[in-house]
Amino acid sequence: MKKRSFFPSFYLILITVIMYLPILFVMIYSVNLSKLSSVWTGFSLKWYRDLFRDRNVGTALVNSLILGGVSSLAAAVIGTLGAIGTARTSFRGKGAMEYIATLPMMTPEIILGMIFLAFFSLLGLPFGMSTLIISHTAFCIPYVFMQVKARLAGMDKSYEEAARDLGAGRARVFFDITLPLIMPGIVSGMLLSFAMSFDDVVISIFVTGVSVNTLPILIYTQLKTGVTPKVNALCTLMFLATLLIVVLSALIGRLGNKKKA
Amino acid sequence: MKKTLSLILVLTLCLTLFAGCGGSGKAESTAPAEDTQSAPAPDPSGGTLNIYTWAEMFDQDVLDGFEAETGIKINYTNFDYDETMLEKLEAAKGGDYDLVIADDYIIETVIAEGLAQKLDKSKIPNFGNINPVYQGQFYDPTDEYTVPYGAGVQTIAYDPAAVSVPVTGYADLWDESFRDSIAITANFRVMLGMALKVLGYSYNTNDLAQIDEAAELFYKLADNIRLIKDDNVQDDLISGEVSAAVMYTSQVTMAKLNKPELEVVYPKEGIGFGIMGMFVPSQAPNADAAHLFIDYILRPEISAKSFEYLGYYCTTKAADDLISEEFKDFLVLPAEFKAEDMEMIGNISPEAAAREEEIWIEFRNRCGQ
Amino acid sequence: MKRKLSGGNAAFLAPMYLFTVVFLIGPFVYMLVLSFLTRAETWGVVNSFTLRNYRRILEPLYFNTFVESVKLAVLVTALVAALGYPFGYYMAKLPPKRRGTMLMLVMIPFYTSSLMRLYGWIIVLRANGLLDKLLMALHITSAPLKILYTYPAVAVGMVYALLPFMMLSVYSSVEKMDWALVEAARDMGATPARAFLTVTLPLTMPGLMTGVILTFVPSMGLFFVADILGGNKIVLVGSLIQEQLMKVHDQPFAAALSVIMMLMMTVMIWLYRRVTGSGEMEGVI
Repeated sequence: MKKRSFFPSFYLILITVIMYLPILFVMIYSVNLSKLSSVWTGFSLKWYRDLFRDRNVGTALVNSLILGGVSSLAAAVIGTLGAIGTARTSFRGKGAMEYIATLPMMTPEIILGMIFLAFFSLLGLPFGMSTLIISHTAFCIPYVFMQVKARLAGMDKSYEEAARDLGAGRARVFFDITLPLIMPGIVSGMLLSFAMSFDDVVISIFVTGVSVNTLPILIYTQLKTGVTPKVNALCTLMFLATLLIVVLSALIGRLGNKKKA
Repeated sequence: MKKTLSLILVLTLCLTLFAGCGGSGKAESTAPAEDTQSAPAPDPSGGTLNIYTWAEMFDQDVLDGFEAETGIKINYTNFDYDETMLEKLEAAKGGDYDLVIADDYIIETVIAEGLAQKLDKSKIPNFGNINPVYQGQFYDPTDEYTVPYGAGVQTIAYDPAAVSVPVTGYADLWDESFRDSIAITANFRVMLGMALKVLGYSYNTNDLAQIDEAAELFYKLADNIRLIKDDNVQDDLISGEVSAAVMYTSQVTMAKLNKPELEVVYPKEGIGFGIMGMFVPSQAPNADAAHLFIDYILRPEISAKSFEYLGYYCTTKAADDLISEEFKDFLVLPAEFKAEDMEMIGNISPEAAAREEEIWIEFRNRCGQ
Repeated sequence: MKRKLSGGNAAFLAPMYLFTVVFLIGPFVYMLVLSFLTRAETWGVVNSFTLRNYRRILEPLYFNTFVESVKLAVLVTALVAALGYPFGYYMAKLPPKRRGTMLMLVMIPFYTSSLMRLYGWIIVLRANGLLDKLLMALHITSAPLKILYTYPAVAVGMVYALLPFMMLSVYSSVEKMDWALVEAARDMGATPARAFLTVTLPLTMPGLMTGVILTFVPSMGLFFVADILGGNKIVLVGSLIQEQLMKVHDQPFAAALSVIMMLMMTVMIWLYRRVTGSGEMEGVI
């Protein structure tokens, strides 16, 4: 047994390293003097300077964080409740509703963007952050819904029943028993949702308004000039920031645990 | 583990909220922009100018200079494809945006749909600075709606060290020695257009028989194609992934600046060139600011700076002399360049477009085999 | 266990149903209607009913594109399952303290722009790039592989993009598993392989299923990976739709292509559910 336990760690590390490989190159070329990734002309922080001069980037980053945060949170609430409700009930028409709720996942982004544009303009909604949040929530719900549903599948109902037998109210059972049990599903769904929203460009371009640019829009629309290493610099900084958050929270968590013990 | 997870969640949320607070201040200052649609009397000495075009079209200094001079705040948002822009403009019924920069062919449709307004040339004293080569084109024959902002041609660039035959035109790309080593752009009108040109036809033919004849020739090119893409082709040419490439002007500029030994050919069959144009949507909330901006861009020194940044042919004649030596060869049309030999890619009939798209899919399938 | 719709449960379902009714039904009806209309001469559509758009899909050119897209999606899904299942499984067996960190470590790369990550892959895979140098240094190959802009490069890019969907789905399924059942099987003399096949796999099936669906469905639409890493030479349905909209300006045909694509996914998911026979998963599209 001892000998075999080496493999899982090796596998986890190997795959993780491969996943970080492309990012490594994004980072390396952020300090390349040349605009091209095919030539290395020397070390330079030029692109970082350009990045900080560009006011559009800051605004777009803020917009993207708000959009990703709000829509993944909304999707988490709606999707989780929906999954629980679905698991507990059965009635005519339920399947159809769920099917429609998960359709955005199956729809090609460009069509989704187009039909949302047509629909919102029919409703007379002003294009901007609100339309962005609605459409992002729409395509994030299926991810949370399915993650939570898989988690609920075959879950031991005896905990909930035991709690209720012991006199816990509905709300109490939900927050103390059900929610903690499905938490990993919600978290996975939210992490995926945020990633999807934070990276979406096609739908966003269609449903955004005059005053809201998101980060992916800024990156993908550099068609006429080619993406500049400014974007490499931006991605590098964001990557390092995320990494810092994770490492810090892991450290804080560990400290907290030690204190308790 | 749950502790770690919830900590991460809390931290992420805090970050988002923090971003939200930082952003709400900004959102407030830009909020009037959304309402400008209903504000009838725009103030040319203030307010907001909503520019809608691709990203990275202007040097930040150029935009900052305009804001400092006029007190107008520029609000710069982006689209990916011309068609997306048209969809958005249709949805806004020609409103929301003050100034749009897009490709020639779509401007023809924009004007036909009544989504652009005639320019008030009394507000554009620098109108005369435009290079006449780029005026009077199919999309705006009498120059009533548009001012050109940059032009490009699709030329052949190749690495002489990796190519054994002399290249003078499109026809040479069919040579067997190029097997699996050519890059082309993903614009099927221009690519199938190469075959049409080799046969002596027009890029814009609506004759399905001519298109089918060109298709047969075009399919024979499939074996030579290593790569079809619109962005960063210069990297593939420099790294040796391909030995010849049909590419856009801005890419040629970048490639030559980094590898001067590359050869650039204006195909002898004639080339299709494209112009990007600035226009003011019909219901632009702040048309006056848009006119001010157009006039600002047409100043020789501003144009020179903009085109050096953009890497496309300079469409402001008055700026040609101000472009630095480093860029001159790439941004100013060569003197021997005959405008009569150029044919622009215009709109074709729905049947012809559908047929060309089918040919394009078939061609790509053959490239992939 | 299932109950009829009661007040309490209706409260759970209300947000999702409300959202669906208000924001989704309209757009999808619009799409369906659009697919039966005729394109206008220059731009937009005219309101005349036609079946032409659907008939056109049966032409070999389009039909084959559908077949090719499904083939690639199946290949990618199989690879993702093969690589992602063990990852999610091992991740769930980590000590609890490390799981959360690992989960985030898996996700971080995906918070970087997908376009930039694809450019990163181009640098890794290009002629005389990292992969070539590595293989040649190890004397596995002697000349550049020229793997970039080929089918394998597309597969690599797609597997990479979709792996986290599988990892996370399997992870949350394995994490809740009752290990006592596996131990019981082992105590009764089952080999590790047998215990895995008869106990672990069936218990984690909902996670695997979710992973498969979450991989298969997007893989049909990830045409930009094929365009960038495959040099535009592998035509997928997503790219057909994109070009119909953005180059040919035929919105009704693009809508019809989308409708068929979605129908096809629905049928394949339904079949998959029937074959793997997980009744618990009812309702998951």
